[in-house]
Amino acid sequence: MTAKVRFFARFRELLGSDIPAPVKTGTTLADLIGGIAKKNKEGYDAIFDENGRFREFVIVMRNGKRIEHADAEKTQVADGDEIAIFPPVAGG
Amino acid sequence: MLSNRELERYKRQILLFGTKGQEKLKNAEIFIAGAGGLGCPIAIYLTVAGIGKITIADKDIVDGSNLNRQILHYDRDIGRKKTASAEEKLTAINPDIRISVIDTTIDESNVLELTAGADGIVDAMDNFPTRYLLNETAIKKKIPLFHGAIRGLHGQATTIIPGKTACLRCIFPNPPPKEVFPVVGVTPGLIGMVQATEVIKYLTGEGKLLTDRLFIWDGMAADAEEIVVEKNPGCPVCGSHKAVDIKRRNR
Repeated sequence: MTAKVRFFARFRELLGSDIPAPVKTGTTLADLIGGIAKKNKEGYDAIFDENGRFREFVIVMRNGKRIEHADAEKTQVADGDEIAIFPPVAGG
Repeated sequence: MLSNRELERYKRQILLFGTKGQEKLKNAEIFIAGAGGLGCPIAIYLTVAGIGKITIADKDIVDGSNLNRQILHYDRDIGRKKTASAEEKLTAINPDIRISVIDTTIDESNVLELTAGADGIVDAMDNFPTRYLLNETAIKKKIPLFHGAIRGLHGQATTIIPGKTACLRCIFPNPPPKEVFPVVGVTPGLIGMVQATEVIKYLTGEGKLLTDRLFIWDGMAADAEEIVVEKNPGCPVCGSHKAVDIKRRNR
């Protein structure tokens, strides 16, 4: 099965976007995002902390719905899922 | 009532909103938090639209590095207070409205006073702690908050209606890290226009507001989209069981 991972803003600059990903059964949302983000250390570090947990401000969406970080670490990816990873911007 | 001069000045938008709509703008008071990258274009367009009273608070002095985006401030204004610079330009643009500027840092001790008569708060800040304070104030006063933020060629905007929509804390429970953010003036120009459009729609009662939706702009890709956001029932600011207490606010 496959899912699509979309990064936004700074994450997109570091990791690209609209990345189709083959997914093995049992893969969690966090595994999937982490696996793709590992391609670029700066990109990975922007999203995950030193313990491999989502940084507090990172917003994870699955099929247009917000997912809590704890749930993203447990929830398995389903075929056709669209996962969006979004950092709020703060400038003005 | 609109004067003949006002009927002439606003002729082309009265075609959109009618004289009733224009009177609503004239009778409105809007607080703009910040006279920087977002605040300048927002203030200019709300001024030309004929919002009756605009209050702007900012504590900063114009710096040379502001001039690539803070379009109310000119080269000759370097070293001058942003509030004085903004007041001069906005009054010259439209002498028929009231511009009130306050040279201060917005904090919990003055925010209620600053927003006392406001019908809406425009978030033109550059940091999340003050945004959270504006959000709590908007919830407490039951007036809308028009949020916008930018970084580089990226931006976001949403409209918050207390009691009805997701608030800023529902959408962003935790602030992004502080940084000196890169920016080119077109980005706050574009996001500021989304916010100013929302203010005008809200005041005139026209159109569909950008509520429970986060508008996301990627200028590098020329790509705009929105994500649906929801009220968080457990939100510490607007959740059903939490009273707002500005003093105990968690920074």
